[in-house]
Amino acid sequence: MKNYLQRQQELFTDKQQQRLEKLKVMIAGVGGLGTNQALQLQRIGVKKIYLYDYDQVEISNLNRQLCYGKNDIGRPKVEAAAEFLGKFELETEVIGINERISLETKIPNDVDIIFDGLDNFESRFILDQLAAENKLPFIHAGIEEFFAQIMLVLPESSLRLKDVFAGSKKQKLPAVFSPAVTVTASIQVLEALKYLLGFDNYLNNQLLYIDLFNNQIEKIDLS
Amino acid sequence: MTLKVKFYSLFRINLKSAGTEYKLNSKITIAELIKKLDQDYDNYFTQKLLEEDRSISPGAIILVNGKNIIHLDKLETEITNKDTVTLFPPSAGG
Repeated sequence: MKNYLQRQQELFTDKQQQRLEKLKVMIAGVGGLGTNQALQLQRIGVKKIYLYDYDQVEISNLNRQLCYGKNDIGRPKVEAAAEFLGKFELETEVIGINERISLETKIPNDVDIIFDGLDNFESRFILDQLAAENKLPFIHAGIEEFFAQIMLVLPESSLRLKDVFAGSKKQKLPAVFSPAVTVTASIQVLEALKYLLGFDNYLNNQLLYIDLFNNQIEKIDLS
Repeated sequence: MTLKVKFYSLFRINLKSAGTEYKLNSKITIAELIKKLDQDYDNYFTQKLLEEDRSISPGAIILVNGKNIIHLDKLETEITNKDTVTLFPPSAGG
């Protein structure tokens, strides 16, 4: 076990901790959700993080995208995020790929799970299709104002993201801010870990609905 | 047995309600449910769930027993007392 992970040792069995330290994850979209996911996944000691984004850092990103500062404006997000994470000198390998997610995207063949860090449903449906084609688990999250939803789509699942969210389109730029984004990304990482580490209470054909205004978290059964 | 209608996210905040229940005498469609809800909630749901041409709004999700009605019979999807209808605006941001 990596020496800086001592305080989480009692949370997991040796086997789970070993699995955790071997995990290789893909984060699609290194914005609000994606930067938070990367920070959490690096802290808990995963082996490798692939960051995918094609955008540059903009001033409007800085209220929630934790890997960037004013000096990064105009830089490719994946480059700035990989550099920021690298400064902590933890042992997770971080690989930035400056590429827009499309049906032509080649998913690295050592990835264990795909994290949704995107900001629109059209791209998410493409990512879900890539996950299905590559037989990989995919964990979706979307956040707007104080409200979020999270859905784990398993490789064998016949229920895909489009089955639930078909017809959804961004009508206006969603209001997003750091506290709600961070909570959502953290729950997304937790839910992914429950599945990947073999706990038996992961989201299965359920949508996790999160209302941070009223402090309510609820599972909605899907079929 | 009743028809359960659950509201989430902004719908819940705006209406100060987590949902409602109806005891139906016979099957109704989602379009008819929206009319019922409009009577009880001051025409709120037509505004939130439908476009001007009466199609389903891209800013709203309507699930019947966990299935998106887009994959069923859309607004003509029939529902009855044992069903659960879930209404929410999906969160798109990241």
